[in-house]
Amino acid sequence: MKLTINGITHQVEAEPDTPLLWVLRDELGMTGTKYGCGIAQCGACSVMVDDIVTRACVTPIESLENRRITTIEGIENDPVGKRVVAAWVKHQVPQCGYCQSGQVMAATALLKETPHPGDDEIAAAMVNLCRCGTYNAISAAIHDLAGDERTGQ
Amino acid sequence: MTKPANLLSPDTSLLTGAPVNLSRRRFLLLSAGTTAGAFVLGFGLPVGGARAEGLSGTMKPGTRVPAFLEIRPDNSVHLQSPFVEGGQGIFTAMAQIVGEELDADPAGFIVENAPAGSDYKVMGNGMRITGGSMSVRMSYSTMRRLGALARQMMLQAAAERLVAPVGELTTEPGRVIHGPSGRSIPYGQLAERAMDLPVPDPESVTLKDPGQFRWIGKPLARLDVYEKSVGKAIFAIDCRAEGMLYAAVQHAPRLGLTVGNVRNEDAVRAMKGVHSVHRLPGAVAVVAERWWSAKRAAEALQVDWREPGPESDVRYMPADFSTAAFSDLLANTPGSGQEAENVGDVAGALKNAHTVVSATYRSQYVNHAQLEPPSALARFNPDGTLELWIPNQAPEMFQADIARRTGLDPSRIIIHSPLLGGFFGRHFIYNTATPYPQAIQLAKEVGRPIKLIWSREEEFLRDTLRPMAAVRFRGGLDANGLPVALEAVTVCEGPTEGISGHKDGKIDPSAVEGLAGKAYAIPNHRIAQIYVKNPVMLGYWRSVGNSMNDFLYEAFLDELADKGGQDPYQLRLHLLRGNQRLSTLLQSVVDLSGGWKRGPFTATDGTGRARGIAMASPFGTETAAIAEVSIENGQIRVHDVWQSIDPGSIVNPAIIEAQVNSAVALGLSEVLLEEAVYKNGQPVARNYDLYPILPSDRMARVHVRIIESGAKMGGIGEPGLPAVPPAVANAVSRLTGQRVRSMPLSRHTFES
Amino acid sequence: MRKLLSVLLPVIVLAAAGVTWFATRVPSSPFDGVAGSQAPSPELIQRGEYIARLADCVGCHGSPDQPPFTGGLEMATPVGSIFATNITPDKETGIGNYSLADFDRAVRHDVARDGHHLYPAMPYPSYAKLSDDDVRALYAYFMHGVKPARHANKASDIPWPLSIRWPLAFWSALFMDHGSHHEQPSENAVWNRGAYLVQGPGHCGACHTPRGLAFNERALDDSNPLFLSGALLDGWYAPSLRGDPNRGLGRWSEDELHQFLKTGRNRHAVVFGSMTDAFNNSTQFMTDEDLRAIAHYLKSLPGDPRRDGPAWHYDPKSNDTLALNARLKTPGAQTFLAKCSFCHGADGRGQGQWFPPLAGAASLMARENASSINVTLNGSKRVVADGIPDAYRMPPFREQLSDRQIADVLSFARSSWGNNGEPVKPEEVKHLRESTDPANSSVIILHMR
Repeated sequence: MKLTINGITHQVEAEPDTPLLWVLRDELGMTGTKYGCGIAQCGACSVMVDDIVTRACVTPIESLENRRITTIEGIENDPVGKRVVAAWVKHQVPQCGYCQSGQVMAATALLKETPHPGDDEIAAAMVNLCRCGTYNAISAAIHDLAGDERTGQ
Repeated sequence: MTKPANLLSPDTSLLTGAPVNLSRRRFLLLSAGTTAGAFVLGFGLPVGGARAEGLSGTMKPGTRVPAFLEIRPDNSVHLQSPFVEGGQGIFTAMAQIVGEELDADPAGFIVENAPAGSDYKVMGNGMRITGGSMSVRMSYSTMRRLGALARQMMLQAAAERLVAPVGELTTEPGRVIHGPSGRSIPYGQLAERAMDLPVPDPESVTLKDPGQFRWIGKPLARLDVYEKSVGKAIFAIDCRAEGMLYAAVQHAPRLGLTVGNVRNEDAVRAMKGVHSVHRLPGAVAVVAERWWSAKRAAEALQVDWREPGPESDVRYMPADFSTAAFSDLLANTPGSGQEAENVGDVAGALKNAHTVVSATYRSQYVNHAQLEPPSALARFNPDGTLELWIPNQAPEMFQADIARRTGLDPSRIIIHSPLLGGFFGRHFIYNTATPYPQAIQLAKEVGRPIKLIWSREEEFLRDTLRPMAAVRFRGGLDANGLPVALEAVTVCEGPTEGISGHKDGKIDPSAVEGLAGKAYAIPNHRIAQIYVKNPVMLGYWRSVGNSMNDFLYEAFLDELADKGGQDPYQLRLHLLRGNQRLSTLLQSVVDLSGGWKRGPFTATDGTGRARGIAMASPFGTETAAIAEVSIENGQIRVHDVWQSIDPGSIVNPAIIEAQVNSAVALGLSEVLLEEAVYKNGQPVARNYDLYPILPSDRMARVHVRIIESGAKMGGIGEPGLPAVPPAVANAVSRLTGQRVRSMPLSRHTFES
Repeated sequence: MRKLLSVLLPVIVLAAAGVTWFATRVPSSPFDGVAGSQAPSPELIQRGEYIARLADCVGCHGSPDQPPFTGGLEMATPVGSIFATNITPDKETGIGNYSLADFDRAVRHDVARDGHHLYPAMPYPSYAKLSDDDVRALYAYFMHGVKPARHANKASDIPWPLSIRWPLAFWSALFMDHGSHHEQPSENAVWNRGAYLVQGPGHCGACHTPRGLAFNERALDDSNPLFLSGALLDGWYAPSLRGDPNRGLGRWSEDELHQFLKTGRNRHAVVFGSMTDAFNNSTQFMTDEDLRAIAHYLKSLPGDPRRDGPAWHYDPKSNDTLALNARLKTPGAQTFLAKCSFCHGADGRGQGQWFPPLAGAASLMARENASSINVTLNGSKRVVADGIPDAYRMPPFREQLSDRQIADVLSFARSSWGNNGEPVKPEEVKHLRESTDPANSSVIILHMR
């Protein structure tokens, strides 16, 4: 079947029930999306499907034909994503970095839906796990973006 | 820093081109090209005159400059780090330290993990371990000297080029300056020649006066943040090799069981994408074209597991083991234990005490739960070498272990150490708890490179655990309610003896650290250990013994204070009288929190709150923490954690603040939520579903004060943790009136 | 007084004698006096194995850590636990000494070889409908197709006097529909085959038919509209298998029903709770012909609009409450988004057959909310179809969500997308939390050989 990822259409061979995560990582070699738990508990595999944050480990590719998939590899092609990455660097968010692809995707999806989120909205949207405990830095980076007039444009 | 990352990431043609029909074959060819380049990078250092010198191995570790540094014509400085980056910021710290003396801006460094080799055993004790919060403090002067030696070589190369005496030359960041003529040459143009020069006598260079530091001590940005924000950082799980197959395992449900009959081997071998089915010690494996196929097939294998014979050399997990019963067994194991400390006359002091307080405190097993599941890529090369890409905290130790397992000479074993997706002590040599022995066997049996990934469920089944302990405390108070005696007998197997074997009559320092080594002036005290072997595999977990013992001790100290009618902060100050460093530290955290305010009090939002205080002395660093808590829907909410940390002297305050944040998060996770429960010989939790780790909405605000007392440099990665659980527990005890004597708090019931 | 006694006493004695006779008599079997066939044909044994699959004998008499059919499953009852017994042909601990008639009496008449009555945990009210041929085949299988294995039975821990077995004779006299299955001449062969499978070996009513005060199934066949109309058992609510569009199979086609029983999943639902065991051990092994017969028969059972209410229609309006600013104001909506939506879809519609929809799910509209609470607390066991474990599993949330959070998220799901279930109370979650354990995430296979 065909998958459109970061604007490019790929022909993939995997079975329809295969999770998007493993098609990305093994078949397409896009290893920026991470495997953490496989059961939608941690969020390390977060990608966007039609701009909605989606956990690739529990998304069978069957449902993805004609959908627009954005992975971390394409994040800087998105103007909001690019600003999120810049804020991540400014606030020195990552430590080990393993969960951060997913965190950046979640933050980008949040800001695309709600350009100027408040505290509660940020908390509600940022539910991915981080074992290094970068939560405060993540929150600071998004608050910074939430106050940025350009976000959402 | 991550050149390999850029090479390994999906190449841009995939991101920008027209529709791509990416057949498997083409993908493998593509990735083969990129991986090959990436994997040799940093290991194919050309061997010139000086570079060949000491191939005999006569040079002191940390002095062979070309083994560590390559400066390219574009002036980028490529540094081989002896320490593995796993989030603690060591690559940046190494760049700061080397760059300071080399006189090269650390921001221009590209750092990667050095291969195995004696040159990299730079720690003062001749070892190379990324752990124990030792990296910077144990290599600080060696790595500074390395930078200084490299600078000296730049100066010599410039002297040749400019035909000027070295004495007339000086440096500015990234270049050599000839003052009299005003000429200057960038390092990038000198390096080729410089690296061929003999390395000067290490004693011939002088290190900078710390007062002149340009980068050390400054909050420099980390070097790896951008790559980690855009998915380009490469972890072991991301590594690939040409022609490789994927593998997944199904472990025996209990450690020690062996593979008997596999009922449906033929059916599983016939599953789509499956290459082969294998029997491993205590596990079965499936090799397949894709990991997802391998994982599903491995789960499908129906194995009759057998009880081990007498020849079994791994720990045996009995079918009736439960953590609840084991905790009771520890608490009720009689004896007075082997002494770690015995000062004064505890028995006499307790006998004469005005009040004796006795209580048993307990700690729980905890998982590492690092977010990157373990993996191993193993490849036998045509020249007979074995090449491995594995998460590890000590390349030479892994190399030696693999040599022992395979019979290969260590020089034939090439270890690559990609970035660690969190570690917290997970990636030491843990016999049954690591995938590389399996990957090596599979690569041998299949004749192709094997990429083995443990699913999260298999990881939780085989992870090593932070030990469980029951500590029997007795405290004696005088008529004024002040402690005159304290005894702590811990019933516990320490992680070190768990890994390396228990020696009769010996205590394991890692079992008692945090009980022993306390600075409080209690005139009579006795700390002892009773060894009880665990059926689980034990491991090091961030801050090791301190992760539980400081909770146990500092919470009991609050219990003593309350029994004696003492304020816990004032009591600690009293017990530290005359200890300038710790008194200052304690007062500083109180100051940071806006003054001591134990509570209970009502916050502006109407919630009832209280604060707790605790201290710890882990890994050469001193810490003090205060936590403020309330109860929300029966759960403990930690609003703020204030922590003062005195590591003596520092390299990067921004990284220290990040590390304290991180350690606070893990400490909160441990005290609020975590417990690895076993029932019927098996872990109940095999994933984050039943083993919750701290989520974002349970994180506290964190306030950090760094104190540079000038004392001997201490560690940073772990010390921020141990004072947090007791500070929280003490606050909760104060708020609720219920004494907290065990973790996690989620097992206690609190009324809102 | 004395006079009265002299009149009454003989009556009492007589009555007692009658009661004793009744409670201790050994019921007759058509196989009485039939010599056990010494060497049944392989075909008969194989057929018996198939009957054992239909009847899911291994589901209770099998245990993953023991040889097949050596018993062990603990069944909790309000008065204590009982344990399934060893039914291998082992002579000491199993049924090795059973004649065909003894076997028949145990399977169809609730009386063991030594004369004691079996607890009705054994679904003999259904098995009573087994045909003589099927009983003969089943016996051949258990005597010759199952390996004898020594494994002592575990005594029940029901205390005396509740442990006295003879009163069970009255229970079965009252609640059993003795006599084998009768064909309905007005229906075709497929329907009749389906009726036999559902009412007899399949014992679907054991879970899906409501029970009376004495734990009796209130209907044993389709003559009563309560038959398979949904029931609460052991912490799970087995939904209606009748034509109810909301809480039953009204919206399922025969093909979808067939697919569900064959693969464990379809676009409406994935097996969970106790049905996972029934699927793993039994329904997937049924022939396509039998599955079609079951589907055909079940689809013939009418629903009851008075019970089921107006038919469900998807209502997209609920999705408005999931927008970021709105969901913070709707109890349960945030938990749904964070914990449920990634698999079940933010629109509640699931993902194909891999993740079941919550929109229109019978368990979320049933008046009894036990299944939805239970599966949220404890997750679901692995579904193993054709030897291959499921790609995706429902995780337990008991360690992550409080009673209040689970009550809120379920109340949200039960009232969204057109679902019309009543709210869930935290106390209900608390009660089930205390009486249940999380599902094992490991693959468990109960072997029959």
